[in-house]
Amino acid sequence: MSRWLPRTYLTLIYLLLYVPILVLVVFSFNDSRTGYEWGGLSLRWYEALFNNRAMVQAMWNSLWLALSAATVSTIIGALTALALHRYRFRGKKVLNGMLFIVMMSPEIVLAISLLALFLLVGLQLGYVSLLLAHVTFCLPFVVITVMARLSGFDERLPEAARDLGASDFTMTRTVLIPVIMPALLAGWLLGFTLSLDDVVVSTFVSGPSYEILPLRIYSMVRVGLKPEVNALGTLLLVFSLVMLMLSQWILLRSKR
Amino acid sequence: MRSARQQPFRTAVLILVWGWLLFLVFTPNLLVVGASVMTRDPGTFISLPLNLDAYRQLLNPLYLEVFLHSLYMAAMTTLICLLIGYPFAWSLSKVARQHQVLLIFLLIVPFWTNSLVRTYALKLILATNGLLNSALMSLGLIEEPLQMLYTEGAVIIGLVYLLLPFMILPLYAVFDDLRDDLLRASHDLGAGRFSTFIHVIVPLTLPGVLAGVMLVLLPAMGLFFVPDILGGSRNLLVGNVIKNQFLDARNWPFGAAASIVLTLAMAFLMFAHRLSKRRIGEEGV
Amino acid sequence: MKKLALATLLAVGLTGCSGSEEPQVLNLYNWSEYMPQEVLDRFTEETGIPVVYTTYDSNEAMYARLKLLDESAAYDLAVPSTYYVSKMRQEDLLMPIDRSKIEGFDNLDPELVNLDIDPDNQYSVPYLWGTTGLAVDTADVDGEVTAWADLWDERFEGRVMLTNDMREVFHVALRVLGYSGNSTNPDEIEAAYEKLTELMPSVRTFNSDAPRMPYLEGETDIGMIWNGEAVMGRDGLPTLEYVYPAEGIIAWLDSFVIPKNAKNPDAAHQFISFVLQPEISALISEDIGYATPNLAARDLLDESVANDRASYPNATDMINAEFQTDIGDEALQVYAKYWEMLKSGQ
Repeated sequence: MSRWLPRTYLTLIYLLLYVPILVLVVFSFNDSRTGYEWGGLSLRWYEALFNNRAMVQAMWNSLWLALSAATVSTIIGALTALALHRYRFRGKKVLNGMLFIVMMSPEIVLAISLLALFLLVGLQLGYVSLLLAHVTFCLPFVVITVMARLSGFDERLPEAARDLGASDFTMTRTVLIPVIMPALLAGWLLGFTLSLDDVVVSTFVSGPSYEILPLRIYSMVRVGLKPEVNALGTLLLVFSLVMLMLSQWILLRSKR
Repeated sequence: MRSARQQPFRTAVLILVWGWLLFLVFTPNLLVVGASVMTRDPGTFISLPLNLDAYRQLLNPLYLEVFLHSLYMAAMTTLICLLIGYPFAWSLSKVARQHQVLLIFLLIVPFWTNSLVRTYALKLILATNGLLNSALMSLGLIEEPLQMLYTEGAVIIGLVYLLLPFMILPLYAVFDDLRDDLLRASHDLGAGRFSTFIHVIVPLTLPGVLAGVMLVLLPAMGLFFVPDILGGSRNLLVGNVIKNQFLDARNWPFGAAASIVLTLAMAFLMFAHRLSKRRIGEEGV
Repeated sequence: MKKLALATLLAVGLTGCSGSEEPQVLNLYNWSEYMPQEVLDRFTEETGIPVVYTTYDSNEAMYARLKLLDESAAYDLAVPSTYYVSKMRQEDLLMPIDRSKIEGFDNLDPELVNLDIDPDNQYSVPYLWGTTGLAVDTADVDGEVTAWADLWDERFEGRVMLTNDMREVFHVALRVLGYSGNSTNPDEIEAAYEKLTELMPSVRTFNSDAPRMPYLEGETDIGMIWNGEAVMGRDGLPTLEYVYPAEGIIAWLDSFVIPKNAKNPDAAHQFISFVLQPEISALISEDIGYATPNLAARDLLDESVANDRASYPNATDMINAEFQTDIGDEALQVYAKYWEMLKSGQ
């Protein structure tokens, strides 16, 4: 019983999570424009999508931005969490407070205040400004996730490492990082997801040189949600699943 | 004693962290505070003289009402996420280790198809002519279509759907750390399942719960497009009001002031929660 | 010291990324899906100028960005709606349009040029126009609906849709009360608010993303809609009718403007001329579903489009029609206050 109950529960929740996605996939093959009735099978939305070069470019831009933002925010976020957890220094409360403020600030406030800052220091809007902004709003999510993991951590391990003569850096690398790995993974995923999804902040801190996908999708709804968006969602899903399987395959091979 | 070679790493970490936060969090927020005490200006958005008019406007009971309603919806969302997410993370940690990463990825993959697109997909399901009503009617369970879309319930469903992984991931991180030997020890010491749950599992996973609550509750106050799409723009969140102030009404001092007060109010709530926890003897996290 | 280090870091990152002076491009800042890809491709083919298409989702966001960016704005062409043209013109955000570089301006409908928003079209060239009127799902609504006032009928309780647009919603109530939709009189605005509170129990939803959708979803039977949306909505719901209400429709016009700090104004002028070609204007109107102000293009339109009363209203439909104008900041604040009270249900 203790085996099938969790499994049934997991399956149920996964089903619920995937139902809306399945709807999206099915409707991406729907010939009808409106979406509430079935107009026959068609690939026209995929064709329309591929002919939209700007959209495809925006998709790549988005993926690249999300990858880099998630990675940078995981590194900085993990270091922040480690510093908060291990080091004594002045202003810990201030640091915590700042992270809280980032989480709490309505996106529009974050967006306009960051834009004002970038203009103040004369930063050209584009990839760099987007990266700085995305890393900033992903940061607290990583820190909180890693902190939760660290708080349950046995303090004697790093002490032991240090007694054995390991430097702070070595100890972090060999003892702490492996311990917080699940939290790093979780934090990276949160960051990637947030970055891929952000509309409001990006609207303000992006420039014409670097248009990203959510902006296009968001403004698309003004003239009615086109079924092209369903096709796009399906492609993103397939892409993610392929990446996922690829990584699993590599993992299995390397273990062998 | 710390040897000298440990210092550079520590210094580098602290400089990086402080530098980032001071430049990208502190300075912009200073600008927000500055904006909130300035005067609204139709030409340049804000201008001198300094005053507290924006804060005075906030005293209007209308805004307290919006705040409370928004807090209520966010709290319901958090509660539902916790009720779904806690057993989920627990079950996940019981699955064979090599499958866990795969399952975590499967959890997050739906979230890589844009949240707005998924919110629209929910609409296809919940609408009067939508899939759920059609299914229920063809099964003969209902005669008339249910009105689900454009209600408070639809907003909460939407928020839960968008924020669930933010509850599950930190919970998973702590459950993964929960060692079986502790549970076995508890069991060997004669504790029943329930007792083990209350005295061992809950305290050990509490940090994850609190992290999850923060990651869900706080963003839930601001996801303005969910009420716009699923609530028919009628069940407003604080995020909607602030966005409107910045864009539609172009009253930046007021928008900034509202944002500051919101942050303070939420900080106060969190703080009060921690205090009450301490008082009943549990360790604050 | 720390800050200095960070600044250096940033500076390095920046110089690494900002490229050298680029050849001519056209940075078009427009509503999403508001320009067929084919038009952009053909423009590039003909002139060799690549087009970078960046999008926004509301006039407010576009305005805020152009205003904030000011010097560093890199957009060569934007498409604000109706009164945003006058607003941006008055705030000195626009570059005058050099008519000598524009071909085909004479093709434009005389009714749609030289409007109050931009006398003599010194700063703007009309792109597309449309109206906001009444939508009625005749399958669920019995009897004739002819006026905005019919929305207040009790039998529509819980079945009404309004656009999520402060100015438009108040416009309707003001017209029902017999005032101008551009009223700046606080008493009239308050009266409109009182009138709207009576309507609120009937209102099921506000929607300015895709106002046809609530009708297609079966959530609403009657309410406001944009004409282009009504045309599109008929594909999925043939009983959806577009009605020109007796009190008058709301008319709007999206126009090309060149921001003051445009880097490639020549390309912008070239693009405007390109779009003004009858053939291109017709292509745009058929693809996007809104009406072109280009009279020469209208002859090229498909019969079914040209004769569609929803897209191209006749003279009687336009009686009492009103363009929105810039109401000034003071009145805007009054509207905003009542709008918030209305939406939060007080």
